[in-house]
Amino acid sequence: MKRKLIASLAVAGVAALVMTGCASTPAKKADSGPVTITYTNFISDGANVGNLTKIVNAFEKANPNITVNVKTIPYSGYATAQQTDLAAGTESDVFDIDGLSNYQTLQANGQLAQLTGVDSKVYNSGLLDTYQTAGKQYALPTSFSDVVLYYNKDLFDAAGVSYPTSSWTWKDETAAAKKITDQAKGVWGDHQPVTYNEYYKALVQNGASFLSKDGKTAAFDTPAGLAAAKWLVDKSGTTMPTIADGQGTADFDTNLFTAGKLAMLHTGTWVFGNFAKVPFKWDIAVEPGNTKTASAVFSNGIGVYAQSKHIAAAEKWAVYMSSSNEEVNVRLDSGWELPTISDSAKLATYLNKGAPANRQAVFDAAKKIAQSPSLGANSQAIQDAMTAALIEAQAGRETVQQALDSAKSKIDALLAG
Amino acid sequence: MADASIAVRAPKRRGFRTPEARTRLVLAIILHVVIIAGALAMFFPFLWTIITSITPGANLTNTPALIPASPSLGAYGKLFTNLPFAQVILNSLILACVTTVVQLVTSSTAAYAFSRLPFRGQNVVFGIYLATMMIPLQVLIVPLFVELKTFGLLDTYLGALLPTLASAFGIFLLRQAINQVPRELDEAATIDGAGHFRIFGQVILPNIRPALATLVVFSFMGSWNSFLWPLIVLRSPQLQTLPIALAGLQGQYISQWDVIMAGSVVSILPMLALYVFAQKYVIQGVASSGIK
Repeated sequence: MKRKLIASLAVAGVAALVMTGCASTPAKKADSGPVTITYTNFISDGANVGNLTKIVNAFEKANPNITVNVKTIPYSGYATAQQTDLAAGTESDVFDIDGLSNYQTLQANGQLAQLTGVDSKVYNSGLLDTYQTAGKQYALPTSFSDVVLYYNKDLFDAAGVSYPTSSWTWKDETAAAKKITDQAKGVWGDHQPVTYNEYYKALVQNGASFLSKDGKTAAFDTPAGLAAAKWLVDKSGTTMPTIADGQGTADFDTNLFTAGKLAMLHTGTWVFGNFAKVPFKWDIAVEPGNTKTASAVFSNGIGVYAQSKHIAAAEKWAVYMSSSNEEVNVRLDSGWELPTISDSAKLATYLNKGAPANRQAVFDAAKKIAQSPSLGANSQAIQDAMTAALIEAQAGRETVQQALDSAKSKIDALLAG
Repeated sequence: MADASIAVRAPKRRGFRTPEARTRLVLAIILHVVIIAGALAMFFPFLWTIITSITPGANLTNTPALIPASPSLGAYGKLFTNLPFAQVILNSLILACVTTVVQLVTSSTAAYAFSRLPFRGQNVVFGIYLATMMIPLQVLIVPLFVELKTFGLLDTYLGALLPTLASAFGIFLLRQAINQVPRELDEAATIDGAGHFRIFGQVILPNIRPALATLVVFSFMGSWNSFLWPLIVLRSPQLQTLPIALAGLQGQYISQWDVIMAGSVVSILPMLALYVFAQKYVIQGVASSGIK
């Protein structure tokens, strides 16, 4: 009995060794003959499974030797599934990347294969750069959205102020906002959230940065950093409603804009639909910067697993899923976010869709990106500390300088761990 | 009228006569207010879920209107068009039933051994069992995943089931229950010629029904609601379970809250039915095992 048990254990052990041995043997030779690659995604979860299937079918038709096996994971569980798969070595050949910070972690850990056959002209340059490290491409952008400046043309006309252009700076925005603001009538010139997200972007727009070059300390305690904080805080009560008016609560800014009481609004391109039926004319422009133009851009990426056995086929699919005509058309026809390509002729259906007229600004904004700093394990706490400090200044309980000083000491401690 | 009000008031006045009675009344009122407030607080999330599920295009950033402006059951229909809903419910039911049945068998037999068959190191082994309850799944998930990968069980129901088939909690619960069954019953059965299997089947099991019912509810609920492990192991769309399909409605930027909540309401129903059915036993079972 005992001997049998030991024997069967030994067999099981050898079998396990053989199985893992097989699994880790890398196949370097080029793919010939039919291959099946796997693609794990979260971008199609919910309503876009059918849209993804269309792109997969078109790809398989164009590449009869490659079959794509799609696995969809809910966004809320994607990070856990990705970590488990990477730890166990079972990650799919191609998989979705949840933006810049996910990309940086994956790239630093050597999980991404370098992509060598990418035609960089096809992509929007800012978005493509996001997924580069030391000049080498390790992933590709699949879709994006960004923050732009919305403006109410009727309010500009009534005040006799000319519309925002791509050459505007903070000075122009402030001047226009002051002219249009008429507190007696409840009309405000500007709205921009006083938060960490706006601040790290304003820093880049003013030639400063949130973190030091080595990423270990906060670097906003400079004259440029102070000016960027004042840019946000000083709007409150002069050209922008105050906290007491309800500023900062959910949907306050979009409701004010819809009501025709707000001339300029800094928010994401995802609220176009909210303003479809407003009774006034409106348009968008790339957000003004101070010393340089930079916008907040959010993108999803796609990468090839470094341990994939079919890297060539996998790269083909990653390129197809991020830049092929079929992918672009499916996205534009169904409104499934925006493709990341550069050719505006192919984007015509989107660009000519109606209000806002200047849809080109959405793509122009993505060319100059204010990349979000990588804040490490305490990311959320750092963001919260920054926002809290800015609000202290906005509420007038501290000067902007005091708020920045206390934020810096808190954030330096959080960065140190 | 006047007579009636006097008639109503009279006994109350009598009740207030002694200070003790007054204190008792005040205490009773405070107690009831606290209990009702507690019940309302517990019930409110469910109410919110139901209201959201019948509010088309609902979002969760605003305070919910207690009576939605244009209530609709459309979200319940969308469950079936947006998701393979019948399929995922069936998958969840199969997993939950198998887990429950197997856990009943493994837990009750193991509990019998811990309670009635003394062996060397019994307490140590039992202690190790209990210790496994203290380790959260999140810590084990990667090694467990690698183990199943080695066995080739990823993306199979067997892989999803294996780690749940034996339950330390179930063994603990049933051992406490079996300990309370008087040993005299075993002895009487032994004198009548019964072996361990008959004692187990005909003496012990009928006497621990409340604990068994409790375990049914706990293990069914555990499997029905489990998210993390099925999410990691089951990747093919046709194998997905209900909680994962519902999570799929919650996108990166857009969440269809009305449909998610409709799915949540539906997912509560089987648990609610099971609990109502087993409620009497569950309270007995939890009370008698000394677990809270």
